[in-house]
Amino acid sequence: MEILQVVVIGLVLGGVYALMASGLTLVFGVMKIINLAHPIFIIIGAYIAYWLFRLYGLDPILSMPIAMIGLFCLGIAVYKLILEREAGSARYAEMTVLLTFAVAMTFDGLLGFMFTSSQRITSPSYATDAILLGNLFLPKGQFYAGIISVSLIIVLWAFLRYSRLGYAIRATTQNRDAAQLVGVNVALVSTLTFGIGIALAGASGALISFVFSFFPSRHWEWIAMLMSLIVLGGMGKLLGAVVGAFLLAVVAALVSTYIGATWSTLTFFLALFLILLVRPQGLFGEKME
Amino acid sequence: MPSRQDVDGILAERREYDGELANASSSTSQDRAFKTLLVILAILVLFPLVTLSGYNFNYVLHLLLYAFMYIAMASSWNILGGFAGYISIGHNVFFAIGGYFSGMLLAKFGISTLLTAPLAGLLALAVGFAVGFITLRVRGPSFIISSIALLMVTRIVFDNWDFIGGSNGITLPQMELPVRFVKVPFYYGMLTLAVITLVVSYFIRHSKFGLGLRALSQDEIKAECAGINTRLYKIMAFAISGFFVGAAGAMWGEYLTYIRPNIFLVILVAANMVLMCILGGKGTVAGPTVGAILLIAFNEFFVSQFGASQINILGTGVVMLLALMFYPNGVVGTLEKKGKLPRILNWG
Repeated sequence: MEILQVVVIGLVLGGVYALMASGLTLVFGVMKIINLAHPIFIIIGAYIAYWLFRLYGLDPILSMPIAMIGLFCLGIAVYKLILEREAGSARYAEMTVLLTFAVAMTFDGLLGFMFTSSQRITSPSYATDAILLGNLFLPKGQFYAGIISVSLIIVLWAFLRYSRLGYAIRATTQNRDAAQLVGVNVALVSTLTFGIGIALAGASGALISFVFSFFPSRHWEWIAMLMSLIVLGGMGKLLGAVVGAFLLAVVAALVSTYIGATWSTLTFFLALFLILLVRPQGLFGEKME
Repeated sequence: MPSRQDVDGILAERREYDGELANASSSTSQDRAFKTLLVILAILVLFPLVTLSGYNFNYVLHLLLYAFMYIAMASSWNILGGFAGYISIGHNVFFAIGGYFSGMLLAKFGISTLLTAPLAGLLALAVGFAVGFITLRVRGPSFIISSIALLMVTRIVFDNWDFIGGSNGITLPQMELPVRFVKVPFYYGMLTLAVITLVVSYFIRHSKFGLGLRALSQDEIKAECAGINTRLYKIMAFAISGFFVGAAGAMWGEYLTYIRPNIFLVILVAANMVLMCILGGKGTVAGPTVGAILLIAFNEFFVSQFGASQINILGTGVVMLLALMFYPNGVVGTLEKKGKLPRILNWG
């Protein structure tokens, strides 16, 4: 029975990881930006939820929309001020990586300066509670976070599948020039996609604020983890990111139980090197020339 | 009609004249710049003699050797990041490998790291080959991602490996020298390393290998079509740029007298290398040196004014952001474009 317990915990965490990675993969798909600053936005979202809870007692799940709106605006500001000017430059890929790296360091230092680097965690009443399903033991906090993450991803999927803007985003992902030719306002779509991606980071930040403890410089660990799972799934593929997240979360949970908790993060990185060796384009990626 | 003979004669004369002109204008002033650099080097070599005066010059020596170390590391990063255009954000992995390898040799057998530094470099080179073989298989973004992942893997392993002291690290024996001389051996070690790195960087830049790297940084598919073995070139650039960082790490460990993961494996070390190359000018030979001197001076000012390390991260981030947005070519690159590069910085 123990193995089932571990798998269930892994699946719940997988939902959370999937939401953390969804914005990253969306932004890469549309703009080919490797957004190294993505996890620091997650941490900003977590701090918003943390302070709203500490100061006003607002439940982190309720402060999720606030974090989303705030980070949507922040994301658009960062894109407009810093990244958009690189569009069409010869060294686009290299420059955007360096710029997002600089953004990540700036916010890392800023958060560390404002809130110190001590570990934080939001503690609503359900964070320490648990549900018992027969023999299965489900921590309520992780369970809620997982369910909400998965629902948000389904909303995102439906939005991409059925709305006009969703069509435009998918068209731009497939072929930027062709999308422009058929009348998609690619510049606007890029800006909005970046905003949406960062808003998703904010949402997952509010959710993880009661699942993981966080501190400003933890984002370096997360960027490597999230990147590993989107490379595993195939870069820019939403489905790939979700499958990668569930797969790795379950394996990491198994490793953590049977081998040791220190080594569970290592699962993500070993999976990255393995997939680069065997199938560099990822599970769902098309073969590169 | 001039005869064939005449034409040849005229051409030969013309060539000779052109040659003279070229010699007169560029080479003498170039020689002068080269001589100036040699004089600066000679001053740096003789500088530690001031310790014989009986006073303590440790702060100046520390700053200089710290600058030499970062000149070597940034120039080394530049071979991959500047010449080949592959950004590595986990380059301090080599720093840690070098530091731990030589540090362990010192702790177990008492061999000075100044002697084992080249071996540490070779180990870093070998690791670079092995890792590059996996992560440089494909073009594009996966390399950057795997460079961060490599840093995380190394950090986890080093934090939990009891033989090398885990996250507490180990303390290394100190050299038995009077306090005012204690930095001098490391001063010469780092100076030698910096000079060697710069010379290697110059020769790579002017070799067929360097030309190949520049070609693949512009357009990898075209470079491959032109017959360049891009994969081998990339892996070689990665490994070579690991070598000098590894050797620097070896000496740095003994200099600090202890080795610990959170000295070698923090992102700030890698960020410093990246930022120095951007500030000075990526892909130029002189750029990383200029950037290293600028950034170290800036950091020293910053720390003396504000202290705290969090502000240091913030400052590094903001400076990098501004430099990238407004001077992406760096000091050397920008001056070169305007044709105003002082000859003393024109290192090819």
